[in-house]
Amino acid sequence: MALEKQENRPVAEKGEHIIARHLIEDDNIKEEKNLVIDGVDVSGRWNTFILSRVDSEFDRSFFKEVKETVVGSRINRCWQCGMCTASCTVTPLYRRFNPRAFIYMMQLGNLKEIKKYIDVAWRCVGCYKCSQRCPKQVNPAEMMEALGLLIKKYFPEEVKSKLKVDEDVKKIYDDMIVGHGRLDLAKLHTSAMQKTGRTKELIGKIERDAIFKMAKDGRAFSILRLGKPHNWSSSKEAITGYLKNINTIENGESGV
Amino acid sequence: MAENILVVGGGPAGLNAAVMLAELGVNVSLVERDSFLGGNPKKFKYKFLFPDMQPADNVIGELIKKAETGGNIKVYYSSEISDFKENGKKFDVTIKTADKNELKTFDSVIVSTGFEHFDPARDAKYSYQLFDDVIDIKDLERMMGEDNFVRPSNGQPPKNVAFILCVGSRDRHVGNQYCSRVCCTVSVKQAIELREHFPACEVYIFYMDIRTYGFFEDLYWKAMEEHDVQIVKGRIAEITSGPNNTVVCKGEDTLLRGPFEIPFDMVVLASGMEGGPQSSEISKKLGIGLDEHGFLKPENVTLSPFKSNRDGVFLAGACTGPKAISDSITEGAAAAMNAYTYAVKNK
Repeated sequence: MALEKQENRPVAEKGEHIIARHLIEDDNIKEEKNLVIDGVDVSGRWNTFILSRVDSEFDRSFFKEVKETVVGSRINRCWQCGMCTASCTVTPLYRRFNPRAFIYMMQLGNLKEIKKYIDVAWRCVGCYKCSQRCPKQVNPAEMMEALGLLIKKYFPEEVKSKLKVDEDVKKIYDDMIVGHGRLDLAKLHTSAMQKTGRTKELIGKIERDAIFKMAKDGRAFSILRLGKPHNWSSSKEAITGYLKNINTIENGESGV
Repeated sequence: MAENILVVGGGPAGLNAAVMLAELGVNVSLVERDSFLGGNPKKFKYKFLFPDMQPADNVIGELIKKAETGGNIKVYYSSEISDFKENGKKFDVTIKTADKNELKTFDSVIVSTGFEHFDPARDAKYSYQLFDDVIDIKDLERMMGEDNFVRPSNGQPPKNVAFILCVGSRDRHVGNQYCSRVCCTVSVKQAIELREHFPACEVYIFYMDIRTYGFFEDLYWKAMEEHDVQIVKGRIAEITSGPNNTVVCKGEDTLLRGPFEIPFDMVVLASGMEGGPQSSEISKKLGIGLDEHGFLKPENVTLSPFKSNRDGVFLAGACTGPKAISDSITEGAAAAMNAYTYAVKNK
């Protein structure tokens, strides 16, 4: 980050004078551009401070907080096998979206680490593959909602600045909500699979079994009959109007 | 005339072998180096045994009672084998007690000399014996056995406790490459006991793998799901002193790739099992094989794990490798059957 040029002072990068600067993350360098202490000017490199990279506590208050929520009640079960990340629909698209790691960060209360992933932490599309496959029934899909709640609570400012809408995903959500009045998880799943070129798997054994089961017990037909929510036209109008004015998922959610 | 069989070592395996042989009408001589029976479980006052948390006294106490009142069992306390000679198919053995030597002829021999707890002081990185608040699982078991569970440094209940797995096991640095099998299960068992005793105390387990094999896995699940025990992946490289009378565990969180230095009120080292000096000693005296791990070597690890490479000498329990108490008791019975068969055949 280049600072503006000031009078009598050369342009300085933050922490520029540190040897092996490339090894230190930006967030770990504290340097005040202008600082005067007791009348002494200690601006720039004179007040540089490097925060330790070493974690010095496990903060279990977040674990307790998450455990008390409905969606996060099974956080104590996770043993970090990685089945959730391995089955995740989103991870192939956004490598930094890693449900396994997010759950671990919540277990150990590592908010410093969670903060780095605010831009991707909300990418879960709710396909529930992870929850279906999790050997300990942690329900990682809903754990991602718990993560969302945690981020919303502790980093409201960052959420506003860092959370940018992925246009493709937004289009899918907009089409579904505005067009049909509800999220169609099957459609979401299909779009994601198409996007990653895994169309063949859409008629895999699990999917075939599910379709067959749903056709047999009548759920497939009830979904078709379901229709739009009550008083949909006025809701739709409100949502469309609101969507015009915002461009973040955060605001979009509270609007819906 | 009844058969004479020698059992060396009065731990769970030796006791069960002796008791079973006595029930068959065999004259059993039980040689024990300590002044009491029961082996390590008795010596270190194990309180509850996994997997069902039954009092150790139910198991060990019961075996000792049977051995002491069993009639056919002659127990030699504080004694050892001073001489061992083959005599045809039989063995001439000199048993050395505190005050005399006794020469006896036996039809067969069962060796159940057991194991030694790894001494964590041998691995300096864990600062065992340097800090009062660094203890190991056998110390914790004894503290619980004596109903005296507090921080050794100040007598207060701990606010957070760390268990460190694989101390003295799976570590070429200390010369033990094998897994000691039971320390994971003992650790999760103790973690549960700790949480039950001090609900406000946080318990962490630093692990590389958690090997609670078979149904012992239930305890591991219970520790996490019912008692909120937190597992953290990474081995601890150093234990140093920290602020406010704490001990600091320095390690790497291998799942997030970050170094940590976390202060704890107490650290419990899950020290493993070793063959101990008695294994090589008995191997020399009896002329039976010793394996590369320092335990006694069975003739065939799969087909006859209870047989030594010398005819008529049988092995039972943790002297052939790390074992749970239930396995030792099973092997005691297996060795008893084989020793009896050998004695009857060569009479």
